[in-house]
Amino acid sequence: MTLAPAAGVLRTPSRTAVLGNGLRVVVHEDRAAPVVAVHVMYGVGSRDERPGRTGLAHLLEHLLFEGTAHCPKGEFDKLLERVGGSNNGSTWLDRTNYYEVVPTHAVELALWLERERMAHWLPVLDLEMLDVQRSVVLNERRQTVENRPYGRAYERIFELCFPPPHPYASPTIGYAADLEATTLDDVAAFYRAYYAPENAVLVLAGDVDSEGGWDLAEYYFGDIPRGPGRPPTPPASPARSTPAGERRETLEDAVSFPRVHRLYAVAPYGSADWLALDVLAYLLADGESSRLQRALVRDGQLAQDVDTFLFPTVLAGIWGWVATSRSGISPEALETEVDEVLAAVAEGDVSEDEVRGAVRRLRRDGLAELASVEARADALAYAATALGDAAELDRVLAGYAEVTPDDVRRMAEQLQVGGGATVTVVPRAS
Amino acid sequence: MTVAAVPRPRLGPPPAPRVPEPERWTLANGLRVVFAPSYRIPHLAMRLILPAGSAADPAEHPGTASLVGSLLTEGTAQRDADALHARLDALGASLDTGVGHDFATVSATLLSETVAEGVELLAEIVTAPCFPQDETERVRAETLDALEARGDEPANVADDLASERVFGAHHPYGRPPWGTTDGVAGVTRGALRGFHTARYRPAGAILVAAGDPGDAELRDGLEDAFAGWAGEPEPLRLPDRRSEVGGGATVVWPDAAQSELRVVGPGLARSSAEWIPAAVANYLVGGSPITGRLGANLRERRGWTYGATSAFAGGLHAGSWQAHSAVGVEVTDAALEQIRLELRRICDEPVPDDELRSAQDAIILSLPRAFETPTRVASRLATVEAFGLERDYWERLPERVRAVTAEDVLRLARRFFAPERLAEIVVGGAGQASSSAAASSSHPGAGLRLRRGRAR
Repeated sequence: MTLAPAAGVLRTPSRTAVLGNGLRVVVHEDRAAPVVAVHVMYGVGSRDERPGRTGLAHLLEHLLFEGTAHCPKGEFDKLLERVGGSNNGSTWLDRTNYYEVVPTHAVELALWLERERMAHWLPVLDLEMLDVQRSVVLNERRQTVENRPYGRAYERIFELCFPPPHPYASPTIGYAADLEATTLDDVAAFYRAYYAPENAVLVLAGDVDSEGGWDLAEYYFGDIPRGPGRPPTPPASPARSTPAGERRETLEDAVSFPRVHRLYAVAPYGSADWLALDVLAYLLADGESSRLQRALVRDGQLAQDVDTFLFPTVLAGIWGWVATSRSGISPEALETEVDEVLAAVAEGDVSEDEVRGAVRRLRRDGLAELASVEARADALAYAATALGDAAELDRVLAGYAEVTPDDVRRMAEQLQVGGGATVTVVPRAS
Repeated sequence: MTVAAVPRPRLGPPPAPRVPEPERWTLANGLRVVFAPSYRIPHLAMRLILPAGSAADPAEHPGTASLVGSLLTEGTAQRDADALHARLDALGASLDTGVGHDFATVSATLLSETVAEGVELLAEIVTAPCFPQDETERVRAETLDALEARGDEPANVADDLASERVFGAHHPYGRPPWGTTDGVAGVTRGALRGFHTARYRPAGAILVAAGDPGDAELRDGLEDAFAGWAGEPEPLRLPDRRSEVGGGATVVWPDAAQSELRVVGPGLARSSAEWIPAAVANYLVGGSPITGRLGANLRERRGWTYGATSAFAGGLHAGSWQAHSAVGVEVTDAALEQIRLELRRICDEPVPDDELRSAQDAIILSLPRAFETPTRVASRLATVEAFGLERDYWERLPERVRAVTAEDVLRLARRFFAPERLAEIVVGGAGQASSSAAASSSHPGAGLRLRRGRAR
């Protein structure tokens, strides 16, 4: 049996049921390995935080691993490890997720733990727990932002690309001062507002069938009442109103080489333009024959590395590039070169073959990425959260084949018009 | 509103892992092939593993093996680098070479419909790279810049010092596999070619494939693609590692937000008969980031770090063990003290039965996940083949893990985790008062890889 009936494109067939309390339950059956991924995604992320309390969504995620009314602190991980399961969670701009990957016999344990998390967590919240995890998160911030070369650039470029009060302005990890100021009441109120069945999707992927999965979901989640109704997502301010190049900043850091970061607010995840932008990203920088690798690294010998990326975000997609100078090369030279490459694409200098190669490389990475039930559960949950329906994932995966050279040209043209922010990191003058 | 408590479910018996039984054959030239077919996902993961790691670097040019690996895709006898990359990118194929201490590994990820041509390109870059002047000089310059950039990150500096303290700078495992600035700058194209000629040979190499080869006939395709390649590399003799672990080291890092900590000592070669019981002992200390003793103490109880873990790293000839964390600068000394206490405790007190049993269950029952995807299958099979483990290594792992006793843990803990025999490395803020050993002032090393974060 294959998950790719046509043209080598992965398919992720799934069936969705909605419980009486609004919880959406998605089942994706794949019996190849005796493994099930249990994934709960809540429609809440750092975009839902208020100023002064950045980092709250992620801090709460940490706290939700610290035990529940019927599962003492420390037991959460131990119970799962004892059955050979893994578990983790993550927080991002638009969503927060919790997942377990377990051998088939332990699927009910994972569901029980997620029930506890959704319905029986608040009674165990206390200040000691908050203080320890606040400290862990501050160390996570040090490790990933403050103590890492170039680590502050991404924080700054989001602030520039999505100026406050845009919900994407602040970093998901939060500002240190806000983390310090967060109270138990903040945490409890945020949990009450967002951790409710109607604001979540449950995905079961792997060695499970849909009727069996829905029955288990009804048993473990069916009696959890709806929440009070979540606050609306803060409105997105117009992020694309100023031309490229107007929002820029140079930071000094203890680094040996300059690095340029450019970010654009673009079409949201799943739209036709977003797909074309993903193809553009691959066409420009994936593979040594791609345009930016040639212009900046191989032929131009201006950069040590160059990469492009596209985030699957909801209020706007986020497209960008990053490049590091070679010795003696100014960061301005990198920008000039990238802009010239983008201009050439915008003028229509793209062939069917070049697009076909980029789509193939996208498909190669997509297949490798979605080979595990863990990753497929995540992708299905995200499609349900961001696009309203898990089945949208297959539409997105199939949509790349429809992208034309003119779509790619049009996207490059849009990037030239504006909406970009640039952060350059340069070696600190000593 | 209250929601009723539902009792924790009772679970049935766990499923047995499905370890694929791969096909094995040897090409006429001696290249061993291991293939685990699966048809869920239309791609094929391949690993060609060659005994061409940095342990074989010429003494005067550390970095030779790494540079050779980087240059495999920069031009061959059949086509120049541009033509090669254009073809790979049109096919959507990726060919990446990683060079470690023991092995150079070429990883290929191919869409099933392009396997036949992908295999030909894999064979071409491995058997016939030509090290053109312009590409060689460009890659050399990029590598030198990357070596310099690597020294910007405190974690890299700590990792390099840790290896040096365990093995000594004279030992290949004591130096980073990517070499040194002098080595990379000085090695000639002739020496690169000579290294390739000597080390990239079919006898002694292993090709692992897992996944769906599409319409390609893998047996005939490989035989044809690698025809004309012959020979066997000389066996390597490595010097002994330093007789005692070097002293601790503190590198003061201006404006550090954290201190990178490494507590390191010798370990085991990957093929050691003690590997599995040692892995169980390590699992208890820090194999699991949350429930391991280091994580439970430094992260979950005290909040001093985002992660504290430990691991054995096993090579072909020897290995090391290290505990690893990054902590707030202000708790540097206190964190080292807690690490010492945890290590002392596992050396002094027999591990409680239920804790040992949990670790065994965690290792055994996670095996089904370890064979879920073609890439994971390829990795598991590559481990068996590259380190010469028993062919039924993965099938027998559960019983061998189950056989480990509390006495085994105590014995191995005393052998590997006794804090007084380990070196403490600090890169960051306030160092430990007891160590006066000066750190090396230059930070050799490079890295062309990002450290994996401990998630959550």
